[in-house]
Amino acid sequence: MTRDLFQQNMGTLKGYIIEMGELSSEAILGAIQVLKTQDAELADIIYQGDEIIDNYELKVEKCTTQLIARQNPTAGDMRLIISCFKIAIDLERMSDLAVDIANVAKCMEKKHEEHLDNILKMAEICDEMLNQTIKAFETLDHELAASTALKDEEVDKLFYGTQNRLIEAMIEDKALITNASHLLLVLRYLERFGDHACNICESIVYVATGQRVNLN
Amino acid sequence: MPETYENGTEIEVKNLNLWYGDNHALHDISIDIPKNSVTAFIGPSGCGKSTFLRCLNRMNDLIPSCRIEGHVNVSGEDIYSRETDVVDLRKKVGMVFQKPNPFPMSIFDNISYGPKIHGMSKKEMPSIVENALKSGALWEEIADRLDASALDLSGGQQQRLCIARTLAVKPEVILFDEPCSALDPISTSKIEDLILELKKDYTIVIVTHNMQQAARISDYTAFFLLGDLIEFGKTNQIFENPQKKETEDYITGRFG
Repeated sequence: MTRDLFQQNMGTLKGYIIEMGELSSEAILGAIQVLKTQDAELADIIYQGDEIIDNYELKVEKCTTQLIARQNPTAGDMRLIISCFKIAIDLERMSDLAVDIANVAKCMEKKHEEHLDNILKMAEICDEMLNQTIKAFETLDHELAASTALKDEEVDKLFYGTQNRLIEAMIEDKALITNASHLLLVLRYLERFGDHACNICESIVYVATGQRVNLN
Repeated sequence: MPETYENGTEIEVKNLNLWYGDNHALHDISIDIPKNSVTAFIGPSGCGKSTFLRCLNRMNDLIPSCRIEGHVNVSGEDIYSRETDVVDLRKKVGMVFQKPNPFPMSIFDNISYGPKIHGMSKKEMPSIVENALKSGALWEEIADRLDASALDLSGGQQQRLCIARTLAVKPEVILFDEPCSALDPISTSKIEDLILELKKDYTIVIVTHNMQQAARISDYTAFFLLGDLIEFGKTNQIFENPQKKETEDYITGRFG
């Protein structure tokens, strides 16, 4: 192996992305817990985690800038560096979405049990997508990335189905409007979370194959 | 000028001016070179970077028309004082040149030549040679043919032999004057990895025409232009956010 320092820096960059992925997974699981319990202390932990993820994004930005400025990357190295920069933006947005969910969830009333099942199911699929995405990134497994992105269809189906049910519920009972509109926001945030996972999968396919694909 | 260095300063240069006859080739150069780091000098041909490098172990003394003013301290010692023994200085501040220049003798004798003239005993020689070749990342390739002529080695191997030869006399500083410009990319990578390894034990100063090489391996970069030191700073900063327009123009290829 030659260019030892370059290889070390590339390893550091990949490590940042994997750590960001793990933190974003903790964030979404925590946010869903807040949705179930309205636990404000747990919401605070998610906010703190978001700051850590923001710092990681900055580290990725610095690392990619330095690698491009100093190491003259080409081919697969270049694809990986550019993609890490994009993936970090997706992961940072995913953490923001977890914060958004926690913000909404902690001030909700406990009146939404009947619609929560679908939302929990969506959250479970989203977290699974993220974990598989990070796994695919670690090994640059483009087939795993592509099959993971397919799961977004389930997320979208649950999104539209639950959205319709919530709208119907609000039409039937105006007393539900406040709570249900909060849930609509949570639904939207989860749907966006899935889209960001798909973006990362597209980046992984690009790194591994050089092909730009649309998996969303 | 960068802030205080983590490992301290190895070489201090203050107000150095150099003339070749009437030609004022270096203008009032002041720079502190950090210990156990790689410092690269970059700049277009004729900017004075190699001339300045040669001031650091008094190689310019060999040029009759050359006149130098100013101070150069290496490890706290004024190298231009009358008391300085130039042979000792060049042992302390070794040099590797652009073109590999092994002596026309065996690999073993190339390495043992320096230690011998500095009075090391014959008995110690095999281990000195082995250690120097190991530090020069050449041992594994040539351990079974130490008696072969150094001239039979490839260009990249010859250059690593020259580095090992410098290491054999235990220097503190190693000056590299475009050490890879005669080598292919793989040999270049090997030398670059070796330089990164050597900085743990030595202070490295490298002159290179290849800006990417400076970017890849140096911790600090100095940009020279027409005999002036235009900018000196951490390599990260020089290549991401240079403070002088001349530096930016040079490293982005807009110069000239």
